[in-house]
Amino acid sequence: MSGAGRIAAGALAAAAAGPAIAALVPPGVLLSLLAQACIYAILALSVGVLARQNGMVSFGHAAMFGAGAYLAGIGLGAPGLLPAEAALPLAVLAMAAVCFGLGLIVVRVHGIAFAMLTLALGQACFEAANKARGVTGGADGLTVALPREIFGLPAATFQRAEGMFLIAWLAMVALAALAALLARSRFGLLTEAIRENEERARFLGYGTVLPRAAVFALSGGIAAAGGVLYVLYNGFVSPETVHWSVSGSALIMALLGGTRTVWGPLAGAAVYFLLREQLVEVTERWLGLLGILLVLVMVFLPDGLSGLPRRLRRRHGAEA
Amino acid sequence: MSAPALSARGLARHYGGVAALRGVDLDLVPGEICGLIGPNGAGKSTLVDVLSGRAPGSGGSVRLFGQDITGLGPAARRHAGLARSFQRTSIFPALPVGAQLDLALVGPPRVLLLDEPAAGLTAEESLALADRLRELARARGVTVLLVEHDMEVVFRICERITVLELGALLAEGTPQEIRRHPEVVRAYLGSAAA
Repeated sequence: MSGAGRIAAGALAAAAAGPAIAALVPPGVLLSLLAQACIYAILALSVGVLARQNGMVSFGHAAMFGAGAYLAGIGLGAPGLLPAEAALPLAVLAMAAVCFGLGLIVVRVHGIAFAMLTLALGQACFEAANKARGVTGGADGLTVALPREIFGLPAATFQRAEGMFLIAWLAMVALAALAALLARSRFGLLTEAIRENEERARFLGYGTVLPRAAVFALSGGIAAAGGVLYVLYNGFVSPETVHWSVSGSALIMALLGGTRTVWGPLAGAAVYFLLREQLVEVTERWLGLLGILLVLVMVFLPDGLSGLPRRLRRRHGAEA
Repeated sequence: MSAPALSARGLARHYGGVAALRGVDLDLVPGEICGLIGPNGAGKSTLVDVLSGRAPGSGGSVRLFGQDITGLGPAARRHAGLARSFQRTSIFPALPVGAQLDLALVGPPRVLLLDEPAAGLTAEESLALADRLRELARARGVTVLLVEHDMEVVFRICERITVLELGALLAEGTPQEIRRHPEVVRAYLGSAAA
């Protein structure tokens, strides 16, 4: 089977697994947790796409996630202006466009400097969300009333765990499949080459800023899509959503899962949420335990959990 | 004479207060292999960097077959037909070989700047490389500027040699002329060539 065929088959199988999981898991806290996990998995996916294709580590992706949520929330709050069916995709496209413009500047910055730049930009957005009371509601946040129906589905579907889990699961699978297809396209190959040796790519005749900015835009659009689902589910968004600690959590999920594969950050998000659920039962210092786990993974599995199969195969191959 | 394959006029490049290139003129005849030699720090790599667009020049102009490429970046120069190699082996470490070839989409270059291609090779390998280079240049009609430390390689395949010293042109001529040029012998070849 061709690579694209494998991705399509994997995506279909994963999509089919969604209803099965929803049927097996009793409705309640766990399913609500899984719905949240899927939404944050989309944010982790966006962080992973940027790391995988551009080799860039972002400490500011909560800004794209939060901005997507705010834009969707503001759009839903003005139903006379735009139908919800237009406002939601528009929030994603607008963030992708903003990130493309921003990307033209920031992708020229590398390494730690880029990480610090994203941290600064992210915190600037946090401050803006706090200060622009007229638009964002300031520290009180923005409460969003959903219209009775969106895309033919009753509003309650989006705000109940059963409904949102399925919607977020399908969105997550679709976005991951899109990222995987793009990664194995010529464009994906080119961005990996630039990641490995930007100067060499330039001397092969490739402009390097536009492809990197396009990856940044894709990453920002995916993060914003996560934010749109977030505001639909919670009916509320506040500056906390834009805070750097959210960016940090997304980065931890991506690194736990590993960014060499597209699906790694999704696995990382699942582990993060399920583990946190277990750890808070044991100790309120769960974050410390998670930190220790992250250190162990980084030391013994630098490619993250998704690098484990490869590692086992190689060890197995060496013994055979 | 037809338009030079590559023509530089008054190329300058300053690093802070230090002038690495002070107004260098250079013309490559289409199809020739021109050697570029000079002692360490003469400005050879800087000249290749400015010619290839890797580093901006502080002054001067570069033309490729008559087309002014002074303001172009490396990618645009590559599309115009100018390619270069690097001293350090330069690949995409994490990509499979097939992918590396897939990425070489632009057609063969018309002018090739080679920065010490024989670095790290044994004397025997260097000469084999030199012969291959001469064959390739002839077969493809490529014009080559060859920066090389190995004098044997340079004298073996270059029709013309340019000598840089302290960022300026010291001499230019056929291998025979360069061998006998008193300034060159003093500045670069030293007693080894005597």
